[in-house]
Amino acid sequence: MVGASLSKWTMSYFAAALLALIAAEGLMVAGFGFPNAPIRGPETLVLVHLVAIGWLSMLMLGALFQFVPVLVARPLHSNRLPLPSLVLILSGLAALLLGFLQMGGYLALPHSCFPAASALLGAGVSLALWNLGRTLWAARPLPISARFVTVGLASIAVTALLGILFALTLGGVVSHPALLAIASQGVPVHAIVGLGGWLTFTAMGVSYRLLAMFMLAPELDGASTRAAFHFGAVALALVIFGGVGLILLGGHLAFALAAAGTLGLVCVAIYWTDMVHLYRARKRRVIELNSRMAGFALISLGLAATLALAANILGVLPRLAGAVAFLTAFGWLSGLGLAMLYKIVAFITWLECYGPVLGKMPTPRVQDLVVERRALPWFMIYFVAVWSGTVALLIEQATVFRVSAGAMTIATVGLCIQFMHTRRLDHVLTLTSLPESGRPRLLMSAT
Amino acid sequence: MTVEANDELADHVRDALRLVIDPELGYNIVDLGLIYFVVIQDGGIANIVMTTTTKGCPATNYLKEGSRDAAWTVEGIEFVDVSLTYEPPWTPEMMTDDAKQHLGIMRGSGW
Repeated sequence: MVGASLSKWTMSYFAAALLALIAAEGLMVAGFGFPNAPIRGPETLVLVHLVAIGWLSMLMLGALFQFVPVLVARPLHSNRLPLPSLVLILSGLAALLLGFLQMGGYLALPHSCFPAASALLGAGVSLALWNLGRTLWAARPLPISARFVTVGLASIAVTALLGILFALTLGGVVSHPALLAIASQGVPVHAIVGLGGWLTFTAMGVSYRLLAMFMLAPELDGASTRAAFHFGAVALALVIFGGVGLILLGGHLAFALAAAGTLGLVCVAIYWTDMVHLYRARKRRVIELNSRMAGFALISLGLAATLALAANILGVLPRLAGAVAFLTAFGWLSGLGLAMLYKIVAFITWLECYGPVLGKMPTPRVQDLVVERRALPWFMIYFVAVWSGTVALLIEQATVFRVSAGAMTIATVGLCIQFMHTRRLDHVLTLTSLPESGRPRLLMSAT
Repeated sequence: MTVEANDELADHVRDALRLVIDPELGYNIVDLGLIYFVVIQDGGIANIVMTTTTKGCPATNYLKEGSRDAAWTVEGIEFVDVSLTYEPPWTPEMMTDDAKQHLGIMRGSGW
């Protein structure tokens, strides 16, 4: 088979991810975690991991199970493994959040939940890595977009390993001095490799291919794209090997982070220029809503990088790190994720319902499954709310931040309702009759 | 059958293939330039060589099967063989002017 087929469990990953996003936004509205609590406090850790694992990682893994086969033009190694991965990661996340709540004194349980969280998350991530890794391995030599994803997958492995070490330390299982040193000082490495390596680098790789596909733009694999890849990969290697090495040698972690940060910013700048080129070189003059909204996510990435650079020059990065992380997680990663979901849900639903009858009867377009004018206001509210929330964090206005989080929650729920209409074929049924297969199941695809 | 009769049958097959759309671009695969050629051999055997807009497209198998099913509806077609190629790779230049206009692409615009 040349190409990819439908990923059975991707919709389940997306549903779990969106529920986690809404839950996290709800917590922010309630004032749970940063900025109402310390940035390293247990409340903030609940919030951060709900977003990073529950929302962004589930979204990314669900999308990768569908799109890694597209990137490498080969089928997924196993269509069965994503389900156990999903169950293990969600169970592990639940145990991790319970562990943080125990740590904060919100729960009194006889045993620490951290060892169980480590085992479950470790097993779930390993299964996903095995499945995606085998798919990529079989497709060597890899195109540039898939090489970004490969580095992203290596980054989730490192992030998970460090996370497991932290959890086992908190659970009282680890006592080796070297491991305790990494556990006590390695949080910045864990956060940067997770947010910058796993989530951002993977999103970059997927966006190179998907945005070119959606906008009919020539695929980029020239010198600039390779430069972005090499700068980013070296930056991540510096954070991981330099950072952990300096911790073990008793040096200053800040040296490795500063060097990696500089290379990372160069990577983001080149990627940003590539994306501008992609938008300018597109053949579709009128682009669809997902590509337009991805533009706002790219603007957010540029703003986050500029903010990080300015804060570092002014020597206030530690104080503004929360705002930079918020803009990166919600403006760039979540903004791009929601924009791509708008297209991917319609595309997967079309494949499932109308692919089998192609050539036998007239079929609607993917675009007929959505009504852009209904989704546009929710996207606009979402991005404005994220940007106002970032400003609120910068000027330390916790109440304004909670109001912004409220607007983000409303916008996310509005978008989820649009995704459900798409999945249930509500929009397209005003144009054509129900396909023979009937409405698809909400949470899984018939393959 | 004569060469003229086979050519006429090939035209009918092309017309039938217009029922198949590229789901993403929302236009029929013939005018998008995804059908590289259709040849009819004696005995009503249709050989179709086609491509997709991008290698690895998740709709690839549906497009292949849809093309086969659409061609089979043509009277006089007894067997259909659809093969996929990425040589040469598809570019927007291969679209008809109608398809380009539908997608808002300027005339003569390739990669």
